[in-house]
Amino acid sequence: MSARVAVLVFPGTNSEDETVRALQAAGLDAALVHWSEPEALARFDAYVLPGGFAYEDRIRAGAVAAHDALMDPVIEAAEAGKFVLGICNGAQMLAEAGLVPGTGPLRRPTAAFAPNASGRFHSVHVHVRLAVEPARVPILGGIAAGTVLPAWASHGDGRLAAPAGELERMARDGHVAFVYADREGRRVPSPSGSALDAAALVNRGGNVLAIMPHPERDAWTFQHLDRTRDRASMLAPSGGATFFRHFARALAGRAA
Amino acid sequence: MTAVLEDAVALGRRAGVALSDDELRRIAERLGRVPTVTELFAFDAQWSEHCSYKSSREHLKKLPTEGPDVLLGVGEDAGIVRLGEWNGETYGIVVAHESHNHPSQVVPFEGAATGIGGIVRDVLCMGAEVIGVADALRFGRLENEHCRYVAQSVVDGIAAYGNAIGVPNVGGDVFVDESFDDNVLVNVVALGLVKAKDVIHSRAPRGSVGWDIVLVGKATDRSGFGGASFSSLTLDEDDADQNKGAVQVPDPFLKNVIMRATYAVFAQLRASNVQAGFKDLGAGGLAGCSAELCAAGGVGAEVELERVPTAQRDLPPEVVAIGETQERLCWIVPPSFTPLLLELYNDVYSLPRVARGACAAVIGKVTETGRYVARHRGETVMDVPLDFLTGGVRYHRAYELPRVAQEGGADRERALALAERSAPATLGERLRAVLAHRDVCSRASIYRRYDGVVRGCTSIPPGYADAGVLVPIPGAPLAVAVGIGGNPRYGTIDPRGAAELAVAEAIGHVAAVGARAIGLTDCLNFGDPTVAEHMGAFVAAVDGLAGAARHFGVPFVSGNVSLYNRSSSGRHVAPSPIVAAIGRIADVAASATMAFKRAGSPIVITAPVQTAFGGSVVGELLGLASATLPDVRVHAFARQCELVARCLERGAIGAAHLVTDGGVLAAIAKMAFAAEPGLGFAIDPAPMAERAGGELGWFAETPAFVVEVFDVEAFARLGAELRVDSYDAGVTIPEPYAVLGDERVPLEELREAWEAPLRDFYGAVRA
Repeated sequence: MSARVAVLVFPGTNSEDETVRALQAAGLDAALVHWSEPEALARFDAYVLPGGFAYEDRIRAGAVAAHDALMDPVIEAAEAGKFVLGICNGAQMLAEAGLVPGTGPLRRPTAAFAPNASGRFHSVHVHVRLAVEPARVPILGGIAAGTVLPAWASHGDGRLAAPAGELERMARDGHVAFVYADREGRRVPSPSGSALDAAALVNRGGNVLAIMPHPERDAWTFQHLDRTRDRASMLAPSGGATFFRHFARALAGRAA
Repeated sequence: MTAVLEDAVALGRRAGVALSDDELRRIAERLGRVPTVTELFAFDAQWSEHCSYKSSREHLKKLPTEGPDVLLGVGEDAGIVRLGEWNGETYGIVVAHESHNHPSQVVPFEGAATGIGGIVRDVLCMGAEVIGVADALRFGRLENEHCRYVAQSVVDGIAAYGNAIGVPNVGGDVFVDESFDDNVLVNVVALGLVKAKDVIHSRAPRGSVGWDIVLVGKATDRSGFGGASFSSLTLDEDDADQNKGAVQVPDPFLKNVIMRATYAVFAQLRASNVQAGFKDLGAGGLAGCSAELCAAGGVGAEVELERVPTAQRDLPPEVVAIGETQERLCWIVPPSFTPLLLELYNDVYSLPRVARGACAAVIGKVTETGRYVARHRGETVMDVPLDFLTGGVRYHRAYELPRVAQEGGADRERALALAERSAPATLGERLRAVLAHRDVCSRASIYRRYDGVVRGCTSIPPGYADAGVLVPIPGAPLAVAVGIGGNPRYGTIDPRGAAELAVAEAIGHVAAVGARAIGLTDCLNFGDPTVAEHMGAFVAAVDGLAGAARHFGVPFVSGNVSLYNRSSSGRHVAPSPIVAAIGRIADVAASATMAFKRAGSPIVITAPVQTAFGGSVVGELLGLASATLPDVRVHAFARQCELVARCLERGAIGAAHLVTDGGVLAAIAKMAFAAEPGLGFAIDPAPMAERAGGELGWFAETPAFVVEVFDVEAFARLGAELRVDSYDAGVTIPEPYAVLGDERVPLEELREAWEAPLRDFYGAVRA
């Protein structure tokens, strides 16, 4: 039986359907859990927080959602070692909840995704490269060292910001799971001005991952814009689908 | 009775409504009394140009609106074209087009945002999932401080709203022209996906007498009072502050939730096989919307205004009835379904928790009377015949068709003479100047502010091709493309020709990504219809649209008219017929971006270059006062479109790009800029110089495509079948250079010239 994954929907979430499709394409049993049904959350093996503007991103991006009662079971699950993945707004929630980098108390963030250096929302196609040893990210079971993924950086608040000491610690302890890169994997400055060119953060245990760019928006061949737009397989998963495949493999490993 | 009529006129003048004295008399005569204040404002909205198309309707009849792919033609909030069949179901694409010009001039951020908000509701209320938006923007000169503010804020507003509701922005265009200094144009298109059997109509269903009228959404407030008639007025600087009150206040966060709740309602309606009527509240507010729903169903309505949830206490009945508070929709459902409807909005999607006072509430009943009755605290504030209220008025406006000079060959001679006299310029220098022109330069710093890929259905986002492409049904190869056309420089010279070219441009844009146009939608932006010259430009443009659409065999399925786009200083906008084409791609594998794909491919132009420089970019740069627009040659152009689509299907070409502003060479350069990794191009200028009388031919804006040929033989064969004359223009090369005969220009230099103007204005967004 495939692992059951909850995709949480807060008021203002907007990327829930494509996230479910990407998870399902990876063989997972993914279902939406709506903010009015928190009791349904207990029944899942893993949790995914999708993109959007939950609670209108009031105060700071992801901040209100991080304090929502709907997050309680997610935080509990993360503490218990279950896999929790946040994409874009979901990544911002995980930072605001203190789950990534996870070096401080809960809901007292030590790092945050702050407004882009430009002060504006942007939506640009990017590549990200795995910047830690694969063993550091058990949530992406079996991912190869240096894996490069295509994705869309579509956000207004994607700039990793933290006190200098915390940034040093994150770099040293392998919390920067992905960095922005070119298609060959060479690190490049992030469009958002993110510290450490960070595109994703992982917690100490490697079971909570917060990624700002959207791998699910370049996860099918028809979504590719470059030469890999292979005509024979336009409707097949590819590109960013790798990300979800490794997430599924991690869950399968747990179940076995 | 005369006293009553004159009392009505006096009341109307005191209340400051836009209704004319004659219209006020007509209302009083039919009602047999002086209208109440609420009735007065209801008629003011319903009989406005915006709601009633009173000046334009007789001309709009000329547009072709029927065809085999039309599932729902003009007449409701949006039209529907057939996308195709999948898993035994027929799918339609819902298409709506609106302007939000006046609001965007007065309060640009909110005006543009509510433009997106309104058009999205027009699509939603057809029972559809909203899958994309596109926008055509016309800004005043960016040297002008207020125009800069408007241009910045309009983009901010579109970004803020569209991004938050999670609808991808998949296309659009931007022009800058002096004529928009006092009147910005913000035209928005929205697309939806619906199964043919699931369409919900904007009318009270058959047998709905006794059913509930349910208002959903934001609590009604004072915002947007008088919006319909405001948008049918000439903007006056002195009234700026007063006009601001007529603009609605956007709430994309609430809209995001309302959309999702509404999708849940659709699912329940289908599951329980319940019929319903559904319509969005736009111009004319609650009374306008519920009246149109009931009038379309041939029934009547009784509405209790005090049941309308309000954000403020003691709102006067006319504001509750007519105000245009955003983010509201109106259902007509059988009472047996009402509890579930209220539960979905109020409990499951908890609208009251999302925004203060937001909810779904029963506010009235459908009656059989054919009258619209509204009560407020026991007092009847409206009691009017529905058909009279919604039927509006019609005018035959006097018009004078524009005189367009026929110059023919003189144009070419003058262009050549001017080019010779002008500062000596190499082809590369001219290309750089053309690429930096305000209407040619890169729009990346605008469209990268919009989320073009949310929903995960985008195959080609803005900037990568002539048209945006969506694959809206997960798992199905069916794709839909949306392309936009309309050039104000052409409109100023010849409204009719500009309209024809707008149709060709929109159809050409979808062809360039491999789509066949199946439907058109127009937004007609013109000046004051009571001035014969402006009305004449409108009539000429409609003639142009009708003729071109007929020849292409593509019908109009929706549209919008925006008149009075003139300021109190007398300046009116360039006649601006703006057209969007909806294209179908049977298999997304046949779609392509405009980027050159390989080195060594022949670069080909699909038609002989015309030396008509009227309205062209190079003409403007040379100071050529020409009046000859490129000739559309519809039938030949339609064959070019078919050639491009067929060649993409068979892999005979790798990329196509329509020649528009800046001409052939600018088109080639943009295809090279889009290539990843960089490719360059080499052209031999001599043959063009011979064919088109000098190298200016490289900048002629002839309706034609530049294509990158993969399979020379197949391309030649298909071209012969379709009788398309193609001309070799050059070849793609691996080095990042533009090789123009003996001249070798680094592509980066050209790219910088192309990117800098708007990047420096809007701020860099690094890719």
